[in-house]
Amino acid sequence: MVINVKNLVKRYGDLIALDHFNLEVQEGEILGLLGPNGSGKTTAINCILSLLKYDKGTIEIFDQPMSPDAYDIKRDVGIVMQNVAVFEELTVYENIDYFCGLYIADRQTRKKRVAEAIDFVGLNDFIKFFPKKLSGGLLRRLNIACGIAHQPKLIILDEPTVAVDPQSRNNILEGIQKLNRQGATIIYTSHYMEEVEQIASRIAIMDKGKIIAMGTNEELKKKIKSGEHINLELLNPEDLDLEAIKALPHIISAELTDHQLVVKSGRDKNNLIAILDHLKDQNIAIGKIYSEPPTLNDVFLEITGKELRD
Amino acid sequence: MQVYKAFFRIIQKNRSQIAIYLVVFMVLALLLTNAYTPPQDTDFTKTRFNIAFINEDGDSELVDGLKTYLGENANLVDLPDDPQQLQDALFFRQVVYILRVPKGFTAAMLNGQEVQLEKTIVPDSPSNIYMDLLINKYLNSAQTYFAYLPGLSQDQLVDYLKVDLAEETAVTVISGSSHSANAEKSGYYFNYISYSLFAILILGVCSVMLVFNDTDLKRRNLCSPIRSATMNFQMILGNLSFAVLTWLVLISASFVMYGSYMFTTNGLLLLLNSFIFTLAALSISYLIGNLVKSRGAMSAVANVFALGTSFLSGVFVPQELLGANVLTIASFTPTYWYVKANNEIANAVSFNAGNLQSIFTSMVLVLAFGVAVLGVTLVLIKQRRVEA
Ligand SMILES: Nc1ncnc2c1ncn2[C@@H]1O[C@H](COP(=O)(O)OP(=O)(O)OP(=O)(O)O)[C@@H](O)[C@H]1O
Ligand SMILES: [Mg+2]
Repeated sequence: MVINVKNLVKRYGDLIALDHFNLEVQEGEILGLLGPNGSGKTTAINCILSLLKYDKGTIEIFDQPMSPDAYDIKRDVGIVMQNVAVFEELTVYENIDYFCGLYIADRQTRKKRVAEAIDFVGLNDFIKFFPKKLSGGLLRRLNIACGIAHQPKLIILDEPTVAVDPQSRNNILEGIQKLNRQGATIIYTSHYMEEVEQIASRIAIMDKGKIIAMGTNEELKKKIKSGEHINLELLNPEDLDLEAIKALPHIISAELTDHQLVVKSGRDKNNLIAILDHLKDQNIAIGKIYSEPPTLNDVFLEITGKELRD
Repeated sequence: MQVYKAFFRIIQKNRSQIAIYLVVFMVLALLLTNAYTPPQDTDFTKTRFNIAFINEDGDSELVDGLKTYLGENANLVDLPDDPQQLQDALFFRQVVYILRVPKGFTAAMLNGQEVQLEKTIVPDSPSNIYMDLLINKYLNSAQTYFAYLPGLSQDQLVDYLKVDLAEETAVTVISGSSHSANAEKSGYYFNYISYSLFAILILGVCSVMLVFNDTDLKRRNLCSPIRSATMNFQMILGNLSFAVLTWLVLISASFVMYGSYMFTTNGLLLLLNSFIFTLAALSISYLIGNLVKSRGAMSAVANVFALGTSFLSGVFVPQELLGANVLTIASFTPTYWYVKANNEIANAVSFNAGNLQSIFTSMVLVLAFGVAVLGVTLVLIKQRRVEA
């Protein structure tokens, strides 16, 4: 097992940031750690890396107990922190070379790895820039390059794509999948469910310092009651009897905002015909209609009773 | 050596700021040093005062001997024994010291009686002490001979005195020339260096430590497989290189100003002392660098610490003029011992076991101070590896 965390408890004064947190990561997977702001993702990672003292629990990486002096473990771990951690005084190239050099002493190998990392994040045009001169997204990409240049066996990325534009974000996500195909095990934390859905082979959903659900994308969605979302554009919504819609069988919820009616129905039940009939009876004209499969937000909502995003 | 390399990149990035400080401090030290002119009366070889010698005791070999002796060390100006003219001569500084040998002086001396010479002087002139010293030396020697060799004739006595005092004078002359302006000024310059060194080291070391101790970068470094001992080693090596460079720049000025004096024992000891002080100042800077959290705090600490210890320890005001309480407090700073040793080195005419022991004791104390502070810092660093 690449990571095995058992019953991790971390308190900040009265606040319990991690409450018997358990996590197992197998070799070769991309584990998506999804949770709202403040759910304890960063705290969990800092504990796993022995950067933080914790109150209880055991942490093993590569089947070895993790500690501040476990240098052999650290050699094979790559880390991309949530807060960008680079030297303002060093150029893009020097920064990547510095961090890579902490792991790889051999100059030739290092040169190659640094060049590959620069390619990987697409910073070729900026190698002589100082971090201050980089845009927010480019800075994030530098942060990633510094974390992965030494080609570690385990890569931990803590919300690496904040402020990165969608185009580069996609490049990065694809890059991470490529690293994974080359053999790296990956932990990817985010509060963007789309990202996690896109790349994670397994997803752990966190809330209040605990993992509340874990499984593949499909497994998680099968666990919940709600199925697809039906979106209907109503041309005369003022005539709608919302309660009547909610009273239809297998309807979990119905919400009207402006001209948009969103109806969530139970899993594997298709109620579209029944709803359309009902609206016709009420003499409501309908514009566009589309339906969406359930999202991780629904999973989160159903387990915690609140939205994943604020 | 990634950390060492990064250390110097950061210093390099801050080089203009450090260079400005370096230049300002050096100019300041040079100005302060050269504004200081050593008092004239310490320079025996150059100064010959004009004095008047008035003898009311008639011809005696003892008085003649005194007159000759004084004539060797001062210019005898012939003046008529007229109160008005003597007053004018003093007023216009034609002479600065008028010595009057009263009637019966020789007889009284020969009888072993207490005798008084009369003097008229320009108040507050540095010549007064010097002349008094010469006269007392002559008379004391004479009285010593009378006391221990009662049968001695005046003739023989004056001969003996001549030889004795000539020898003593010779010694005085030697000490006068080696105890030159260079000794005084270099002592001052090296005292001022302590301020510059402290300020520059605190600023330089803190600029780097602020970067490495930034929470995010520190965590990132802690994630890497670099051993804490290796990290500390490279960091200390970086600090040491920076400190030695700073020291070299600061002492280079002393070679320009004092030339070959810097290669005398005094000069070499001053260099050694300043190097040891550099190590202690570095060690303290490293501790401060691991404590301060912002650039604002860094500047404040640099100023308060460098200026404060310098004032307390007698860099700007001589230690002799500071109160006992101040000196007691100061003795807990390495600057105090550094300045003390500097003064002793600069004032030493020759080195013997006595003054060398005192000088080296100060140096050892400064070094011990540095080692102790470094120990504390390393413990602090170790404790902070994992956050609570
Ligand atoms: N140093 C600290 N002192 C006190 N409380 C802290 C500290 N660091 C984090 N916390 C608290 O611990 C909880 C978990 O924080 P953490 O940063 O792990 O969340 P997160 O899941 O990473 O959130 P985000 O998505 O915003 O990064 C939060 O309630 C936070 O306020
Ligand atoms: Mg976080």
